[in-house]
Amino acid sequence: MIRVLLFGVLATKTGTKEMSLEIETPVTIEGLIEELRKRLPSLPEGEFLFAINEEQASKESIVHDGDTVAVMPPFSGG
Amino acid sequence: MLEPVRIQTEDFSVEEEVRALKSTSKRIGAVVTFCGVARDFSRGHRIESLEFEQYQSMALRAMEKLRQDTLERFDIIDVRIVHRVARIPAGDNIVLIVVGSEHRKEAFEACSWCIDTLKNTVPLWKKEITPEGESWVEPHP
Repeated sequence: MIRVLLFGVLATKTGTKEMSLEIETPVTIEGLIEELRKRLPSLPEGEFLFAINEEQASKESIVHDGDTVAVMPPFSGG
Repeated sequence: MLEPVRIQTEDFSVEEEVRALKSTSKRIGAVVTFCGVARDFSRGHRIESLEFEQYQSMALRAMEKLRQDTLERFDIIDVRIVHRVARIPAGDNIVLIVVGSEHRKEAFEACSWCIDTLKNTVPLWKKEITPEGESWVEPHP
């Protein structure tokens, strides 16, 4: 099971800040996003940033069972 | 003593942070500060307040790494980074970078690099609250 966290506009548009995803692992972030879109059709298109267990990751990064994956819009702090 | 890297809801004191920085070394001959402030007007809209969301644990670690990277990259003596979250009314402080070095050039360069890098590396998101409603802000330089 993967714990998925959504932030900012992604959480607002989907009405979801956190969800558990039952998915076959290992899987790339790209594969996880495809699966996520089936569950959350309102997930906007666009360039996202990712983190696996709080470390920045890319679309090609591999997700394992038990990981926490953050799907994030571009940062806008400061 | 306040930690040199913090994320907090309450306002910060620029004077207090400068004093804390200066207390680390008497070799400091230049102090440069950048203070980001919430504007009351943006993209043609009146802004009542900003609201910041964070990925809490990751954001603090990213800011601590940013402090280390700034110390390693520039010939400076110390740097402090404070960012506020939650709702910030127009006119209030958002973020503070304070850099101390022996000479001004390094402090100016480090301060500029530090705030630019913060915007790209720290998981924080800004929402504008206007009289018409609220909207998430697209990042800008």
